[in-house]
Amino acid sequence: MKIKKAMEQLDVFFDLSKKKQNKKCDKLKKIILSLEEKKSDIKKQLKRESRKDKNSKECYELCKEFKVILKLIKKAKNHCVSE
Amino acid sequence: MLKRIITPLLFLIFAYFIVSNNDAKTIIAGIAIFLIGMHYMENGFKLFSGGALETILKKFTSTTPKAIGTGFLSTAVVQSSSLVSVIIISFLSAELIGLTQAVGVVFGSNIGTTTTAWLVSSLGLKIKIAQYALPMLIFGVIMQFSKHSSYKGMGSVLIGLGFIFLGIAYMKEGFETLKGGLDLAEYAMEGYLGVFVYILFGAIATIVIQSSSATMAIIITALATGQIDYINALSLAIGANLGTTVTAFLGSLASNKNGKRLAVAHFIFNIITGLIAVAFIYQLKDLVDVLAGVFAIPATDNAMKLALFHTIFNVIGVLAVAPFIKPLVRFLETLFRTQDKDRGLPKYLSAEVMTIPASALEALRKETIHLYDKSLEAIVHAMNLHRTQIFSDRKINTIVEQSVSPIKIDIDKIYQQDIKNLYSQIIHYASMSQDIMDEDDNEKIYELKLTARNIIEMVKDVRELQKNLNHFTKSNNIYMINEYNKLRTQLVTILRRIQEIRDYEGEQEDILTQIQVLKEKSIDNEVVLNKNIDSLIRENKINSNMASSLINDVGFTHSICKKLLNSAVTLWVKDKEVKELGDEYED
Repeated sequence: MKIKKAMEQLDVFFDLSKKKQNKKCDKLKKIILSLEEKKSDIKKQLKRESRKDKNSKECYELCKEFKVILKLIKKAKNHCVSE
Repeated sequence: MLKRIITPLLFLIFAYFIVSNNDAKTIIAGIAIFLIGMHYMENGFKLFSGGALETILKKFTSTTPKAIGTGFLSTAVVQSSSLVSVIIISFLSAELIGLTQAVGVVFGSNIGTTTTAWLVSSLGLKIKIAQYALPMLIFGVIMQFSKHSSYKGMGSVLIGLGFIFLGIAYMKEGFETLKGGLDLAEYAMEGYLGVFVYILFGAIATIVIQSSSATMAIIITALATGQIDYINALSLAIGANLGTTVTAFLGSLASNKNGKRLAVAHFIFNIITGLIAVAFIYQLKDLVDVLAGVFAIPATDNAMKLALFHTIFNVIGVLAVAPFIKPLVRFLETLFRTQDKDRGLPKYLSAEVMTIPASALEALRKETIHLYDKSLEAIVHAMNLHRTQIFSDRKINTIVEQSVSPIKIDIDKIYQQDIKNLYSQIIHYASMSQDIMDEDDNEKIYELKLTARNIIEMVKDVRELQKNLNHFTKSNNIYMINEYNKLRTQLVTILRRIQEIRDYEGEQEDILTQIQVLKEKSIDNEVVLNKNIDSLIRENKINSNMASSLINDVGFTHSICKKLLNSAVTLWVKDKEVKELGDEYED
């Protein structure tokens, strides 16, 4: 039992999980950044398309993509905070 | 019956020999400890490398010289050519590298394996390494209690090294004391007769011990203690190289076609190298003497000179065979071809790969994709379409409207013949390999198992859909035909998009976004289709029987689409962080 406890202490000492968490958060930040860029691109396109025809197929597609990206950004931010 | 008697009898004779002969006991115990060490080291590297070895072998094999160099370095570091071979077979099976590169790695690995001889002749014999072996064993065992697989792996490597050095010490001690009673050097044989006899001894010893490294360790310790003659030791080393081909060849019998092809390449290489070494043994001996002077190896240090000889003749072998890799590969490709009876059999799951977590995972992913492709064929044909149509540039609506005649296909038969067995093999393999995997990898395996199940369920769903589709497309009700065409269009759209996603090489979040958009659209489609059915009933364009069938089939289609898209996330979104966003998205 004592050896197990000592090993757990050693694990904590050598623990890379914090490093791993930081790495994961950095990755998530990059993903958020890339998604944000896409969001603003789609927003511009959506404005342009909706000026032409709000009920067009293109508008519907862009709207869907925009909503999905918003959700993904929200999830990524939540993940980053919880990490 | 005879086997039942002979085996225990041989065992008893061997046991009596060990008990009655103290010196032999020490040597044999040394060999046994050395072999345990090799075993621990190999297993340790499997856990410890955490995929690093696989990454190196995957990335640095683009040209033949690179492949040879990588094979040499990786084997020299992990001290196990069999581990490198297993990884290479798994890559070859997963089509991550070509046969030419794989053969290059195997050739390089042959040079890499000669570093064991250097390790034994330098560290093992020069330093009293046994005194370092015990602390290595102690720390190795302590590290085994760790929860982290990398520490456990590191512990196993330490235990392995400890046992290897302890084994060498025992062998050396055994040979030294043996010399007092029996001097094997008295049986030294000169000339080519001696060369052939000792080659045979070396080969037999390697076949029995199943490890050329262990045989080399015995030869070097015996040589260092003066128990064998130098020229006979050179012959034994050639024999050990030849013996290892027999072991590898026997081991490959249970392997897949790639394993067998590599074993043949290994066999050809070692036979040619062996022949060169035998033909020029005396010239090589002279060359070793010259080079020993260059590398500051004392003229009396036969153990290190043997290690040098071992390396030189393997390097010469590589130089002699490497220019012929392309014709060799062409020849190997004609061997062990896939036959029609192999339908429904896994392509990527091999037993050797199962022991390496990263490779086992990749093999499972590839096999699940194989299952997906098989099922895709069934799904597409059940929809009265062909894959070439789906993956063409033609408009989906046109394809669907034009392909109305039913394709004669028995989904049940395809399921039983091609799909069910593949699925069972995936589940079996996944469950077996889960045993050695850490929490993260276990999660990935679970995802793949779930995906395989989803794929199977898709086939079952499409079986139901097919019955009504064929029934109603033959009917005169244009509304029903239109509605079923909409279902087919939805499926084809998703299949085509998934195919594009498979080939997409851009950012991972783009892939996930596209899949999630398709999921959202599929939900919208289900609502629209159900509303359509309501209007058709109200307008009396379809009867209640038609409506109930259609409602069920809208459900089946939605279920198939959802499963297809979930499978796409598991199979083609590689980035863990991005994939997790998709998982959360489900909530």
